[in-house]
Amino acid sequence: MKNRVLTGVFLAFSLVLSACTGGGNVPSEQSQTNEPAPSGEQAGSGQDQAAAKTELIVAAEQEPVGFDPHKVPAASSARIYALVYDTLTKLDENLNLIPHLAEKWETSDDGKTITVTLAGGVKFHNGKDLTAEDVKYSFERILNPDTGSVAKSYFASLESVEVKDPATVVFHLKHPDAAFMANTSSATTAIVPVGAGDLTTETAGSGPYMLEKYESGQYVLMRKNPNYFKPELGKFETIKFQIMKDEAERLAAIRAGKVDISSVSADSATLLKKSQGVEVKSYQSLEYSYLGINVKKKPFDDPRVRQAISYAVDRNQIVQTVWKGEAELTGPIAPAAKGWAVDPARYDSYTPNLEKAKALLAEAGYPNGFETQIDTAATYPDMIETAQVIQQQLLGIGINAKINQLEWGNYIDVWKSKDMTLMVGRNTSGVDADRSMRFFFHSEGSANVWNYANPAYDELVEKALVTVDENERRKLYEQAQIMLVTEEVPNLFLASPKNFYAVRDNIDFSPSAAGESFALVRASVK
Amino acid sequence: MGTYLLKRVLSLIPILFGISILVFAILHLVPGDPVSIMLGTEATEESVAVLRAQLGLDQPILLQYLHWAGRLLHGDFGVSVHTGKEILPEILKRFAVTLQLTLFAVSVGWLAAIPIGILSAVRAHSKLDIAVRIVTLLGISVPNFAIATLLLLGVSLYLGWFPPIDVVSFWEDPAEAFQVFVLPAVTMGIFVAAGVMRMTRSAFLETLEKDFIRTARAKGIGKWGVVMGHAFRNSSIPIVTLAGMQIGSLLGGAVIVEQLFSLPGLGQYILEAIYLRDYPVVQGGVLFVALVFVLVNLLIDLIYTWIDPRIKY
Repeated sequence: MKNRVLTGVFLAFSLVLSACTGGGNVPSEQSQTNEPAPSGEQAGSGQDQAAAKTELIVAAEQEPVGFDPHKVPAASSARIYALVYDTLTKLDENLNLIPHLAEKWETSDDGKTITVTLAGGVKFHNGKDLTAEDVKYSFERILNPDTGSVAKSYFASLESVEVKDPATVVFHLKHPDAAFMANTSSATTAIVPVGAGDLTTETAGSGPYMLEKYESGQYVLMRKNPNYFKPELGKFETIKFQIMKDEAERLAAIRAGKVDISSVSADSATLLKKSQGVEVKSYQSLEYSYLGINVKKKPFDDPRVRQAISYAVDRNQIVQTVWKGEAELTGPIAPAAKGWAVDPARYDSYTPNLEKAKALLAEAGYPNGFETQIDTAATYPDMIETAQVIQQQLLGIGINAKINQLEWGNYIDVWKSKDMTLMVGRNTSGVDADRSMRFFFHSEGSANVWNYANPAYDELVEKALVTVDENERRKLYEQAQIMLVTEEVPNLFLASPKNFYAVRDNIDFSPSAAGESFALVRASVK
Repeated sequence: MGTYLLKRVLSLIPILFGISILVFAILHLVPGDPVSIMLGTEATEESVAVLRAQLGLDQPILLQYLHWAGRLLHGDFGVSVHTGKEILPEILKRFAVTLQLTLFAVSVGWLAAIPIGILSAVRAHSKLDIAVRIVTLLGISVPNFAIATLLLLGVSLYLGWFPPIDVVSFWEDPAEAFQVFVLPAVTMGIFVAAGVMRMTRSAFLETLEKDFIRTARAKGIGKWGVVMGHAFRNSSIPIVTLAGMQIGSLLGGAVIVEQLFSLPGLGQYILEAIYLRDYPVVQGGVLFVALVFVLVNLLIDLIYTWIDPRIKY
């Protein structure tokens, strides 16, 4: 008798705990989302199912952090609110500006007034019409310091917004701003309805998809907006962003057909090329990696030292080892922005030349090199690898660099401190040349953390901004790019990687630099 | 017993108070802050300042602590800095996932470990025993993430099976939940089993040397009668102690396993919040985990008195 009681101790103990579970008042009841899933769970296993497939499942690497387009620039949030909201304009696959909510626009002769005509028949998800009042409200919300919008810096030239009639809105500028309309294509400049309250958890868009459900740690479910003003967009009834933080899990899931689309690293892309049922698609991204230099700190305050580093670093090796060849050489404007970027072949320093580098160092008074430090983010393997390649290459001219890996939160702090020495990072060169050039390197640019201040450069990019003539503008940016790369070298522009998506072969999905949402609303079953 | 319980429960107050101060202090000492991370490198100084003020991060740190602790006393865990969602319901929801995973893993672990551990002790130094010791050593030393990745890739590549992506709980759909939790539970179960097996073996070995066992044998009780009837209860204390610690720490969140299998558990929730410097989430989460840990250990202490009536509080 006693024996049995004893043997039962362990079982009893686990029963006690499981009893707690059963009766636990754990409010996870709402997770009964076993929707009768008409979705193609077993994607790719038969024509009939493929035809009935109405749900597109996208693997998301990160949890979204709020849905307010004006407040949160994080990519994990932007990929969702870019589907919920509309913007005045969009960029197409070739990064040409195309009309969206703004059907057409006219710039006055002095360049200081832009009159925008809105597309008709656009309704918010709650049924209300989208009018010029909403556009005015949205831009005022972005400019309001209390919003803390990152997009505010795009519209420094904006003086006021005038509602002419419900379909016409007029932007009055302080000075001509050639980048203005291009900037309205960013998802962070979305049009929200007048009086929109807290948009962090609630959404109030007019876009092709509505936020149906966000189950934190699990998924974000979007449902098609049946009244979307461009009915040809949005071919799936639902799009589900499945949060899967581990790359190995995403790979396994796409192979098993549990997800339809997943962005993957260059390494995984190579692995997946042999997988059945999966296609790998890539596009040239707008991102580029860089070696940032604090131009105020000795010895980097001497441009010759910076030029020497530029000659010592072999960017092709970074393309080959870090990006496995799946990247292009870049200047301050990524090559995907074809209209603006200068061909790197025109930069002398992109052909490594150790002799010249050593000579420049000696001229600057450092014939034997020096010790220094490269900060980078431990979160991103490509940044660490880039730093390691540079470390090796700098040894060739006697510069001994220590690599300092920082956790992401810490990295951002160091980046902002303007007190780093050398720093490896990645930038997105933005929708317009103005973003790539003024924002990052103008002496008052808010992302110029390198203490770089050159009146000649400032003048060039300021002039380019107010120049409405496209060709003239292009020439000014060309001069500015060449100035940065060959003489001033506040940063070394290294490589602009391709981005990769793994896509189930029954799905038609064409990712491009226009952004994920642009491709998602055009995706369909083959 | 009653006074003992009361004392233990009262002792929770200084423990939790201490932990709250510790977590708060450590978090605020770590470089980085939620606003910089939220706005990223594109942020302007102005937008950072505005958001910091809105979140009350510009106030003196002592004041921030008092605000937080004050609301906590009213059961208000606050809202997440990043998602604006209420924290307590989220913690409970995540805890439900972690609890199921833990119980599943522990059952897998114990069901395998205890019988084998006993067998290994009874047949000490036999081939079986040596094999068990090697396997348990492996189980303890091979890291979780290696086992998890191998399991996931192995099963999906060679068996063509992939666990359901959406997490359901056992009380909603036991069959589906089993599929969701089986791989992570086995991953953690291996680790649990290895520890319990070693502990079972050594505890039994020690007990089987005792005089009363010899007496029992002399009385003519059969081999297994002695083991199950006399040695079992007397060997249980260290095993239960270990089990309590294991359950306590697993409930605190099996971060790596949750991350690898995309299980929205408590560990993952807190880890994510640490990366994002979501102060109120980390603070509330850690405090909750500490409370659970302390309560589980209290439960274990109470179980002692049941296993061994000589233990009195």
